[in-house]
Amino acid sequence: MNNMHFKVGLFAAASLLLAGAFMVYLLHARGFFEDTFHLQLAAASADGVAPGVPVVFSGIEIGRVTSLGLNDAGGIVIHAEFLERNAKWLKENSTFTLDKPIVGGAKIRVDSPDLAAAALPDDSTMLLLTSDISKEIPVLVERVKAILANVEHMTRKDGEIDATLANLKTMTARMTGEYGVLEGLLGSPEKARQVTDSLENLRALTARLDDLAAKTDQWLYAQDGTAEKVQLMLSDAQSSLKKMDALMANAVEISADVKEGTQDIASLRAEIDDAVRKANALVNEINKKWPFAREPEVTLP
Amino acid sequence: MNFLATSIESLGAKVVGWFTVAYGMFAFLVQASLLVLHPSTWNLATFDVVIKQVYFTAVQILHVFLAYALVISWLIITIILSTARDFGLTEFASEMTIRTLVLELLPFLTALFIALRSGSAINTEVALMQVNNELDSLAHCKVPPMQFEFLPRLIGGVISVVALSLLAGLLALLIGYLAIYGTNLAGFEPYTRTIAKILDFQILAGLVVKCALFGLAVTLIPVTAGLETPKKLFMVPVSVLRGMMRVFLAIVAIEVVSLALKYI
Repeated sequence: MNNMHFKVGLFAAASLLLAGAFMVYLLHARGFFEDTFHLQLAAASADGVAPGVPVVFSGIEIGRVTSLGLNDAGGIVIHAEFLERNAKWLKENSTFTLDKPIVGGAKIRVDSPDLAAAALPDDSTMLLLTSDISKEIPVLVERVKAILANVEHMTRKDGEIDATLANLKTMTARMTGEYGVLEGLLGSPEKARQVTDSLENLRALTARLDDLAAKTDQWLYAQDGTAEKVQLMLSDAQSSLKKMDALMANAVEISADVKEGTQDIASLRAEIDDAVRKANALVNEINKKWPFAREPEVTLP
Repeated sequence: MNFLATSIESLGAKVVGWFTVAYGMFAFLVQASLLVLHPSTWNLATFDVVIKQVYFTAVQILHVFLAYALVISWLIITIILSTARDFGLTEFASEMTIRTLVLELLPFLTALFIALRSGSAINTEVALMQVNNELDSLAHCKVPPMQFEFLPRLIGGVISVVALSLLAGLLALLIGYLAIYGTNLAGFEPYTRTIAKILDFQILAGLVVKCALFGLAVTLIPVTAGLETPKKLFMVPVSVLRGMMRVFLAIVAIEVVSLALKYI
């Protein structure tokens, strides 16, 4: 056996075998043994899309754009190809979004919210949405600029925040004085002292009011107090009214006899009415001032 | 004025020299290609010499070469991976690895390896044969040197560079997988996808053609440089020096052209 020939033969066989195996592997990887799934995407703009742009599902490439062009109506049609094994991720409710990140190439993102939905048929046409971050950046920058300008205006030297902080400093400095927070709120120890003095006076005043209330109580409701006197006065008034009642009854009898005297009686009646109204007003007046339990109404028969 | 004329003259002599060399190589290549296509070339004797050449160029150094490819691949993959992690571009690491190593660096280093080891030997051998009139004697004895000396070397060189590049590339793919995913089989699917994405058949054919051209360059140029040697013994080192310089320039030129074709 020729040793050299054997070695060369082994080398050649191993190389050919590995090359063949790698070719088969590559053919499998590129989907040579599988059918291809086609998809058309209709887009408003083909900006950033070129043949070779990947179609990704959950961040994993499942297909590629093969070509793009215009249809008869002037719309953009993007053709993409998928391997049969990857086509199962494309559902009828899938959305296709063109993503253009700031770093890295554009890609078409597939979102399939419901994987149980019906599969997309071959050669179907879907809509391609666009989400372009780079277009939003200028708007964002403008807004941030405005905010920064405001912040700058607020924090400038001798600005509002500066003054506020200075005021806060003097206030907290005062708070450490004799009258504490009160001095901080009012501005000077004199004013704070006035407030504490007023509070002292108020306390004395309430003590005196207490005293006064006790005296009033005594004056009103004690034996021979004012309340009792008013009561007596009212019962007097009532007895006078009863006498008036009797008088009225007599007057009615007289009026039955003397028809001519009717005119005089009417005027008398008006006078009595007036007196009763005045008495009633007096009772009401008293009633407003003191809470009597008795019914104050004085009624005429 | 005289100086200008002299410099133009020397430039012209150089250009003529380059053209002569290029023409010599081209004529030799055409002659060899015609011989390959000729059915009478392929007898057992020629075949035997081809096998010998493959043995000396590729099989004899296989273990050293594979160890060298392993170390280089492992180093480069580690550097690419750590850089990619630092910059947060890990998703591109496998693609970067395959592109730099399998497509560019390993074929280039293989060609340099073969040029240093076999190219220089071929150049010296042919130059000595030329100086010692052995080639004329062989032709006189009805052993055409083209068929039994030069052509087997060209074929052996091409086969060797293509086969060694293939082995080194596969090894790099394996190491790349192990470096990125470890012994876990879960990465097989994404790795396969990356490989499929990069190695389309155009790229693969380009890679094979590039390796074949490398193989041709590291054998054809030393042979023609050896044949150019004047019949003086002290001219042999000069011939080897010139030949190896040309081999190096040719390898770089092939690499640059292949990159230009791929990315421009």
